[in-house]
Amino acid sequence: MNPDKSNLKKRLLKNNVFYQSIKLFSYALLIPLAFILFYIIKNGISYLNLDFLIKMPAPVGETGGGALNAIIGSFLIVGLSGLIAVPLGILIGIFLAEFKEHKINDLTRLSIETLQGIPSIIYGIVAYVWFVMPFGKFSGISASIALALMMLPMVAKATEESMKMIPYTLKEASYALGANYYSTIKKVILPSCRKGIISGILIGISRILGETAPLLFTAFGNAFLNFNMAKPINALPLLIYNYASSPYQEWHQIAWSSSLFLIIIVLGLSIIAKNVIK
Amino acid sequence: MKKDTILTVENLEISVKKNKIIKNISLSFYKNNVTAIMGPSGCGKTTLIRALNRMHDLDKSFKVKGSITFDTQNLLKSDPILVRQQIGMVFQRPNPFPNMSIYENVLAGYILNGIKLSKDEKDSIVDINLKKVGLYDEVSDNIHRKGSHLSGGQQQRLCIARTLAMKPKVLLLDEPTSALDPKATTRIENLINELKKEVSIIMVTHNIEQASRVSDYTAFLYLGDLIEYNTTETIFTVPKDKRTEEYLSRKYG
Ligand SMILES: Nc1ncnc2c1ncn2[C@@H]1O[C@H](COP(=O)(O)OP(=O)(O)OP(=O)(O)O)[C@@H](O)[C@H]1O
Ligand SMILES: [Mg+2]
Repeated sequence: MNPDKSNLKKRLLKNNVFYQSIKLFSYALLIPLAFILFYIIKNGISYLNLDFLIKMPAPVGETGGGALNAIIGSFLIVGLSGLIAVPLGILIGIFLAEFKEHKINDLTRLSIETLQGIPSIIYGIVAYVWFVMPFGKFSGISASIALALMMLPMVAKATEESMKMIPYTLKEASYALGANYYSTIKKVILPSCRKGIISGILIGISRILGETAPLLFTAFGNAFLNFNMAKPINALPLLIYNYASSPYQEWHQIAWSSSLFLIIIVLGLSIIAKNVIK
Repeated sequence: MKKDTILTVENLEISVKKNKIIKNISLSFYKNNVTAIMGPSGCGKTTLIRALNRMHDLDKSFKVKGSITFDTQNLLKSDPILVRQQIGMVFQRPNPFPNMSIYENVLAGYILNGIKLSKDEKDSIVDINLKKVGLYDEVSDNIHRKGSHLSGGQQQRLCIARTLAMKPKVLLLDEPTSALDPKATTRIENLINELKKEVSIIMVTHNIEQASRVSDYTAFLYLGDLIEYNTTETIFTVPKDKRTEEYLSRKYG
């Protein structure tokens, strides 16, 4: 059969329309992103200075001030979350990748995938029920636990995925030198997966850094500078939430600057994460 | 002339899920000799050689029966870790540890077994073994770079150095040159000739010329049976079995 010319033209046209619309939509997607960034930079840049990093929020009515308590709170909460989620996540990742025949492997994988899909507010409520109610007070620790649960699947998945990429021959080479299972994992397999795991950790951190909902039930917020994780503690997302909904102009300013600050850190982490993989 | 044996295999039978891959093989390997294991693809060469340092322990579907005597012990009943420290193995594809430098790769056996060494001991182990495999001059300037930056042939020699560093009594080589170009192959063959002074070598090869160039003894395997085992000279000049003769004249690959 002879493919007739008009049919071919039609197909080429279709192809072109398809291609152009893909391009158009990808560009269109950039518009809201650019708009958000522009808006936040425009509003946030003026107060994002040294004072922002080292000063406490100014009292109502005064201008200036910073977000020191929220920055330190976020740092402490996320740091503790990492300390919990990273070792646990790596162990779970090893289990997922290495013990495929084990009877609870599928169940573990299912749980990890389910954890990933749970709305973040649920983590907050769970941590509230487990750690806030029994102790009768809000605390940084309970916030860290909520966020660690959110970060856990990301670390576990990153570990599992990068371990799957390691050729089996490497393990054989290690055994052939007389190594046992533990040192093979610790000294050959995990170091070979280092990049993938680190990038998973960074992405996990950048994800939980901006979480607000779980913190409402756990860290709660604190107007003062607090280093005690057993007490209510402030965090950047909480500060943004509280200040942006306040009636005061100066507080709106700090909320904008905090948003910009968070975005810069999250963006930075994502860029680093991308570059470690390379 | 009577030769000293280093390994004696008796009634070795290896099966995977009721599938017999090695069928009741018995043979002795000789000290400071190179023994080539040959045979058509799928006849069980890799399966046989991996039994000699307990690599089948890694895959539960493999069942190994019979005995392999090494230093008066049945190594099928010994601790696999001790067996592997004395019987080293080099694989078909070069597999240096990508997270380790050239220097650390040579020391990998010590690192992985948690054996502490002084700086001087480390330096000397690395120097000696890189020299043995002829890699010293080629890499001495960037010994702390990753081993995975080397060429395929260099990587394979690094893997041999890493194995030799553990001072094994037996060196198992599973088609060590099949992933390499002719020049790198020649280097490894020369190296094998040198190394047999200090270690007994058992190597699988597909390459008939290679077997004739480097081996003292040749075992010919066919569908899991040991068809013929003799000095390489005898096997290549007056093979007793028709299948050996046909293989050597490349009737089947
Ligand atoms: N993990 C396994 N599970 C099931 N069968 C296997 C497994 N490994 C090998 N076999 C079978 O065992 C037989 C021998 O395999 P082996 O790898 O020892 O052959 P070989 O002589 O080394 O071949 P080649 O020259 O291609 O490397 C083959 O028929 C193969 O299909
Ligand atoms: Mg093979």
